[in-house]
Amino acid sequence: MDELPTIYVLDIKGNPILHAYVEVGNKNLIPVNAEGGVELPDSLDKEETLLIMAMGYDVKKLPVKDAIENPSIILEERIGKLAEIVVSATRTNRSVEDLPMPVTVIDQEKIQETGAVRLSEVLREQTGLQVVANHGTGLQMQGLSSDYILILLDGEPLIGRTAGTLDLDRISVSNIERIEILRGPSSSIYGSEAMAGVVNIITKSNKRGITASVQSRYRTYQTLDLIGDLGISKNGWSIYAYYNRFRTDGFDLDPEVPGLTSSAYLANTFQTKIEKSISEKWNAKVFVKHYHEDSQNYMEVLRNGTPSLADMPGRRKDLNVNPSITFKPSQHWTFSLRSMSSFFDTESATVFREDGELLEAEDFRQFYHRTELQVDHQLTDNQLVTAGAGHLIETVEATRYNDLNRFDAGYLFAQHQWNPSDRWSLVSGIRADVHSQYGAQLSPKISGQYQITEKLSWQASVGVGFKAPDFRQVLLNFNNASSGYYVFGANLVNEGIKRLQQQGQVQQILMDPNQFGDLTAETSRAFNTGFRYKLSDDVLVQGNLFRNHITNLIETTPVARLTNGQHIYSYLNVAHVITQGAEIDLNWRILKGLRLSAGYTFLDTRDLDVVDRIENGELYKRDASNRTKLVTMADYGGLLNRSRHSGHIKLNYYEPFTGVDMALRGIYRGRFGFGDVNGNLILDDDMEYARGLMSWNLTLSKSLDNGIRLELGGKNLLNELNRHDPTNAGRLLFAGLQTNILQLFK
Amino acid sequence: MRKLSILHLALLSTVMMFSCSDDEETQPEEDLQVVLVENLHAPADEMDRQTGEIIALNSYKYYSFEENKLIESSDGNWDLGIKGLSMIVNNGISGNGNAEATIVQGIFEQYNEIPQDLILKVDTEEGLAIPGGSGNGWYNYNMSTHVVSPQPGNILIIKTNAGNYVKMEVLSYYQDNPPLNEVDLTTPSAYYTFQYVLQPNGSRKF
Repeated sequence: MDELPTIYVLDIKGNPILHAYVEVGNKNLIPVNAEGGVELPDSLDKEETLLIMAMGYDVKKLPVKDAIENPSIILEERIGKLAEIVVSATRTNRSVEDLPMPVTVIDQEKIQETGAVRLSEVLREQTGLQVVANHGTGLQMQGLSSDYILILLDGEPLIGRTAGTLDLDRISVSNIERIEILRGPSSSIYGSEAMAGVVNIITKSNKRGITASVQSRYRTYQTLDLIGDLGISKNGWSIYAYYNRFRTDGFDLDPEVPGLTSSAYLANTFQTKIEKSISEKWNAKVFVKHYHEDSQNYMEVLRNGTPSLADMPGRRKDLNVNPSITFKPSQHWTFSLRSMSSFFDTESATVFREDGELLEAEDFRQFYHRTELQVDHQLTDNQLVTAGAGHLIETVEATRYNDLNRFDAGYLFAQHQWNPSDRWSLVSGIRADVHSQYGAQLSPKISGQYQITEKLSWQASVGVGFKAPDFRQVLLNFNNASSGYYVFGANLVNEGIKRLQQQGQVQQILMDPNQFGDLTAETSRAFNTGFRYKLSDDVLVQGNLFRNHITNLIETTPVARLTNGQHIYSYLNVAHVITQGAEIDLNWRILKGLRLSAGYTFLDTRDLDVVDRIENGELYKRDASNRTKLVTMADYGGLLNRSRHSGHIKLNYYEPFTGVDMALRGIYRGRFGFGDVNGNLILDDDMEYARGLMSWNLTLSKSLDNGIRLELGGKNLLNELNRHDPTNAGRLLFAGLQTNILQLFK
Repeated sequence: MRKLSILHLALLSTVMMFSCSDDEETQPEEDLQVVLVENLHAPADEMDRQTGEIIALNSYKYYSFEENKLIESSDGNWDLGIKGLSMIVNNGISGNGNAEATIVQGIFEQYNEIPQDLILKVDTEEGLAIPGGSGNGWYNYNMSTHVVSPQPGNILIIKTNAGNYVKMEVLSYYQDNPPLNEVDLTTPSAYYTFQYVLQPNGSRKF
């Protein structure tokens, strides 16, 4: 018998797949070596079939004689990342395919192909996500804004929101391993804020040996991104350290108005992850991240009647320290104790350029601490039970608040994952939150998936989401001196009105102040249902329908009128809103190395109180020639800043001769309402819309044998601009270089 | 600065034709005129922009619908007083007259009869006949653009000192009645443009 050759398991670019296995004979699994190779046993019958498999790739079957003829075996990636393991959906490891809710995974390759340096740039290219400007660069999911989306960093919440928006430009992407996007309410495991969904950012950790790399990227507006990282794994220790320096000149969409649309800033990010596997059963981890940003902008202010320039320096800092420990006494039990402490701090000032006189200074300091215990128990082969308990402390100290304010909360949650048969997968969960501000909140959720055929599965979930009133809504004490109005948090409004009454400033009470003070959580009831249809190994179609019914939405309302004609405002649970729509995604591998994907989202939103007023004939509008007309339902465009239609088309091509990867993406955001123009404060007129536009983005990249990766590309190549979208900087061109230092000196 | 002009509203004749063929009763007894008042400047008290303190008090502008002009003093025969965003009527805590007012909703040109059960109010300590506040009274205030817009469809019904009814619609709060999409923070404000119809015979029909 001839000696059998070594076979190699490779991806389509010819790189070895290091986690591949080859199955020969009777369940005999052989892992590949460091070159991706497997020596076939000499005893093998040439007519026998080999099974070659790797997580994330389609399984390949072929007879031994074929493998001998052509020992380089190429596996194709499983379409749509269905095999990807996700933690955020259930707080336990489950594959996308197996999860009964809509989940998307963006892996490192996908992040790289966007040429992104900040998180907003990655998320804006995903189906069902919209990046919108509102006190920073925020996210919108299922028609709900940033306030209602929980953003996790390695499973722990990110804090530091400005007027509800968590600025996605604060987060660098080069240290991200993958991003998990879970749509639909997830308060049943995460509590407050997880109303529209959850974005979990999983950062890199060092897997094996020593790694070191440096990267740089330069682009339009003198934007420079520099990165260095280092990883060491030895004797059960794994250390990963990361540094990023980012600077930009900002940009200006309206040069006639003094001031930049987007500030110039310099940001530094330091991050360290240290893991120690103490024994088979014990594992400990510490994650530390520090972010520091200095920004600069300016504006024109009237000073004694003459316009004067004023500088607006700003500083933003945050620090996260997250230690955790895991204990696995047996295969059936896992205990994890996690703690996180987060500090967020901003300072801003407005200073006259002429003489340095301070017009205004403001600072904001927030602290958030949480400790949590989670227990996972594998009840039977097909049932996994998770239970947890935790507490949190949150404090805020700021110019606009009295004293140091503190919230306390505790919670319990339980979850049951059950596969009653091969075809069924069920996840049910419930969480109880008790909060010093808004009392108790119960959030149940149940999700199920049924595998109709091997190719088609259907899923549905029903759940409750909530968002606790934030510090601002409860405790704000703000006086706008220049226009003379006051905004009080719900807890302070009674006191504030009394004080102003004593000073003789209140002319008229518009609402009984006793109505205020008991802000309750905003709640939603949501329904999601969808399907996954795998037409073939090369075509996957996924769809999801959603509906969120939100009640007790908190809004600002005038409470009293002042003698100066201005008002006192406060916060009240008033509005009822519906957001509903459909998302559909197509992934198609046309040829080896050529992939097409397309996504479309239809979104319908409405304020139910506005709908009532229209139906009762109580809402009017002024037309262009100043005539008053009744508003009809056909005029009503729903909530502001929401695009009814949005979508994308992406083409990925790997050119095998030059080894160049090409990613061409067209990202469409349909027209959206930017604000009221015709005077009735609702969206009901064509002139209240910003036009829709398509942004064409292209990234070309090439990896060399010595570990250097080159990158060249552009965003918004046709320079489509819209002055109502300050997150859109217009055309950006970039070039980048990435090197693996150790490989370079090998 | 202030310009008063009288317009004949083309629509009025349409209403008349409609009324004639339909119901003799609703036909107005005489040809009522729509009066357009432009750029009535009624600035609010002046405030120090940095401290928020009031540094100069301004007086209300007192308007008489019967005479179609401003009245010099609060002791005179005025119906409606305007200052900044506030409106007062000559009655109750605001004046010694008999004026009353309230807000109804509808389309100005088509609003041709005040229902018998409509209650007109006077200014009291508890509240003004034309309440203030965005969405409460005659205007909406857009918190993101800071633009004040007369709330579309709001018609002020005023009973004058003489006991006659007026329907009035505020058209603009900005100088020269610009289209709202051209208004920004630099547009001079507290310049009222409004239109009204006075029924001089004491009837509730216009």
